[in-house]
Amino acid sequence: MKNFFGAITRLWMGIGVWAALASMTVASAQITPGGIDMQPPNSATAEQVHFFHDVILMPIMVGISLFVLALLLWVMVRYNSKTNPTPRKFSHNTLIEVLWTGVPILILLVIALPSFDLLYNEDVTPDGKQTVMRGDGQAVDFVFANDFPASRMVQRPRHLQVLVDDGAGARVLSSRTDYTTEGFGEPEIAVSLNTPPPAGARVIIRGGRSVDHRGDVTLAPTMTLKVTGNQWNWNYAYPDFGDFDFYANMAAEEDTTPELYLLEVDNRIVVPVGETIRLAVTATDVIHAWAMPVFAVKIDAVPGRINETWFKADREGVFYGQCSEICGINHSFMPIAVEVVSRPAFEAWIDSQRALAGMDPMFEADNVKIAQGSLAGAAAE
Amino acid sequence: MADAHAAHGAGDHGDHTPSFFVRWFFSTNHKDIGTLYLIFAIIAGLAGGAMSGLIRMELAEPGVTFLTHFTGGNVDAAHNFYNVLITYHGLMMIFFMVMPALIGGFGNWFVPIMIGAPDMAFPRMNNISFWLYVASGIVIVASLLAPGYGSQMGFGGSWVLYPPLSSTTGSPGPAMDLLILAIHLAGASSILGAINFITTIFNMRAPGMTMHKMPLFAWSMLVTAFLLVLTLPVLAGAITMLLTDRNFGTAFFDASGGGDPLLFQHLFWFFGHPEVYVLILPAFGVISHIVATFSKKPIFGYLGMAYAMIAIGFVGFIVWAHHMYTVGLTVNMKAYFVAATMVIAVPTGIKIFSWIATMWGGSIEFRTPMIWAIGFIFLFTVGGVTGVLLANAGVDHYMHDTYYVVAHFHYTMSLGAVWGIFAAWYYWFPKMTGLMYREWLGNLHFLFMFVGVNLVFFPQHFLGLQGMPRRYVDYPEAFALWNQVSTIGYMVTLVGVVVFGICLIDAFFIYRRKAPANPWGEGATTLEWTLPSPPPFHQFNELPRFDKGDAKAF
Repeated sequence: MKNFFGAITRLWMGIGVWAALASMTVASAQITPGGIDMQPPNSATAEQVHFFHDVILMPIMVGISLFVLALLLWVMVRYNSKTNPTPRKFSHNTLIEVLWTGVPILILLVIALPSFDLLYNEDVTPDGKQTVMRGDGQAVDFVFANDFPASRMVQRPRHLQVLVDDGAGARVLSSRTDYTTEGFGEPEIAVSLNTPPPAGARVIIRGGRSVDHRGDVTLAPTMTLKVTGNQWNWNYAYPDFGDFDFYANMAAEEDTTPELYLLEVDNRIVVPVGETIRLAVTATDVIHAWAMPVFAVKIDAVPGRINETWFKADREGVFYGQCSEICGINHSFMPIAVEVVSRPAFEAWIDSQRALAGMDPMFEADNVKIAQGSLAGAAAE
Repeated sequence: MADAHAAHGAGDHGDHTPSFFVRWFFSTNHKDIGTLYLIFAIIAGLAGGAMSGLIRMELAEPGVTFLTHFTGGNVDAAHNFYNVLITYHGLMMIFFMVMPALIGGFGNWFVPIMIGAPDMAFPRMNNISFWLYVASGIVIVASLLAPGYGSQMGFGGSWVLYPPLSSTTGSPGPAMDLLILAIHLAGASSILGAINFITTIFNMRAPGMTMHKMPLFAWSMLVTAFLLVLTLPVLAGAITMLLTDRNFGTAFFDASGGGDPLLFQHLFWFFGHPEVYVLILPAFGVISHIVATFSKKPIFGYLGMAYAMIAIGFVGFIVWAHHMYTVGLTVNMKAYFVAATMVIAVPTGIKIFSWIATMWGGSIEFRTPMIWAIGFIFLFTVGGVTGVLLANAGVDHYMHDTYYVVAHFHYTMSLGAVWGIFAAWYYWFPKMTGLMYREWLGNLHFLFMFVGVNLVFFPQHFLGLQGMPRRYVDYPEAFALWNQVSTIGYMVTLVGVVVFGICLIDAFFIYRRKAPANPWGEGATTLEWTLPSPPPFHQFNELPRFDKGDAKAF
């Protein structure tokens, strides 16, 4: 099934004379010169947006437009005054009227179901959690504490993922063949593996209702990024990592490349790859909007309100967005740049920012590592 | 019959027209007021179109290089000028072009005639509606010339007027206050006009013309009038609150005083969404008549067509927050607005398919109005399907405030409502003026506009998909290609507008071919075609009757 949708997606991408240009992506900017499709996704959510747009909406939209065009052409050819000099006089047909009321409703249902799925995936901040245990070569029984609020409890197999990491990278086990579970919807879920994991291997159990498009449980945010819009720059703070903040102004034309002019900033946001980042967005003067197309994120920065959203980047790199709510004369000149880096690079960057603000490093010594800062989950270990 | 009646009493000045000044400045005649509205709309349309020309010229290539010519090289002033242009382009086109053309112009002209009434119910109120519009037009020009941000002229916060950009925080100067006054005047004018239409349609239909025999254009105006009466007071309330926030120390929309900027957005879009149906429903009505006339067939599914418009009008009231998916609504609220918004596709689909069914089995003559009407059906479908896409909040988080939205609403408005206006223009021009136009000039106008406007707006879908935000005076290099194509499209459109002007001048001064009472033949069955072209100053001294036999007016 997935291959089928993949084939359709590729087919769509291949259509159009400009498709050849799609390969000419400018270095690091995700905008394709002359491009006709969306910016390449860099998160499971953005991938789901692409899937919804490319595989569900586009065929329906193009199909309806072509169908109406074909009908119009047909009546123009068949029922013009030359080919059909005597008009017929009918003005009702109950069956066809019921059909063209009913069929669109069905089409809308086909759109609505994946649409709601996507919307809730985007808008509900993930609250998944993981427990990490060590195998000793014999134990097969592990426990996952299902201590969510009642409405967010792990209820069925798709809410749970079991991974084993024996040093060569984590491997997701199959709930059909590799393990059995007991206690869905109860405070403790018992997981029994069919074969004991090797001694020293890490057994990771992830659980939660926030299951993404790919079937992976998305973990709760590891950090909050506070975004404040101003006329005409952005201010960023990392409240989990100390009392520092910085402004990001658009980079001057001579400080950047022609491709990145109007996109590059003097101080980029830095976030760790593969971790859920919570955004808390507000503004000081007028309304702005923080937008990052590769994550399919756009959220208004409204004075007096704090809006929340989140993203989880798949890949490292630098990604660009632009203010997306008119905010005055320099609305076009307050871009957004996010640098997605590895966890160690992120920690080093945090420490450098803390040093700039006159604070001690947070990550150099292991004993000050904060629990929620690490994907490995120090508390669980 | 009418002549015999004219000899006595009430009808005795049937053909007596007042002097020029009295006729055009104190006018109480629905046809004269309609003509005034059309002239007003043409002037506003040219102004709004010129603004879009400046916008497209600026966006022809990256860099702020064009508007600086108007600001003595001052770049900040050019940025402000761009924002002012997009703001007033939107306001001009919506409030001063499409609404006066379709409602004030064709509505005033043809609703009374189509329902067999001698005039509108309140002729003097009709007069003040028009002159309030003129006053509003003068005030909006004053607003354009008053200081807004700093010493720079005009309000540059887009037609949606969101505070705090429109409050003293973002636009301290008097431009915004004048703009509020202009919108108040235009709103009052529209409310009076809408009351007039509702009263006329409910009370002054010819004997025997039941609601279910009434022509669809009158139906469309009735629904439109209800939308106006119910939503404009909400807008008036919102902008009054904004005015007191600006001048009298209230804090309805000021977070630092306990207010909420989003309250304005809710109030604005409670008006703003029905407003887009105000713009398109009259066009729906016009297209129904044109399609039926030139297919020589009665409209297919008359009742379905009428009730589809009512359904669109009703649902239009409960979908407003789909303009606000990114402001921070709760997810459940977004889910509701997604579902409600998609429902609109159903009655709209009924209309599209009923038009095609009307043509099916017909004997279509491709006269100029019909060509515009067929163009309308296809282009509105394209604008409609992208609307279904944008209804989905999940994908709208990507598309919101990008050029995708600009493309979508220009396909429904610029290629929808405006197509309806031109279709109506070519359909009723012989009736209104008593003159024919050259068919090939009308066709040529269509050709240039069709190619041009599609070149302007289709590539904007691509820009939106690539993430280009709207209301941007300058853009990264990568967006250059499609912006250039779009600007070339504007040039082609401009040629189309010139052809329109030539067609108009030609019809009045060169071609001068007298129009018969019914130039369109057997398919044109509504009452206006029973009158001479142009109709007499007062029509229907003897009311037409629909209560004998099963005569229908559609």
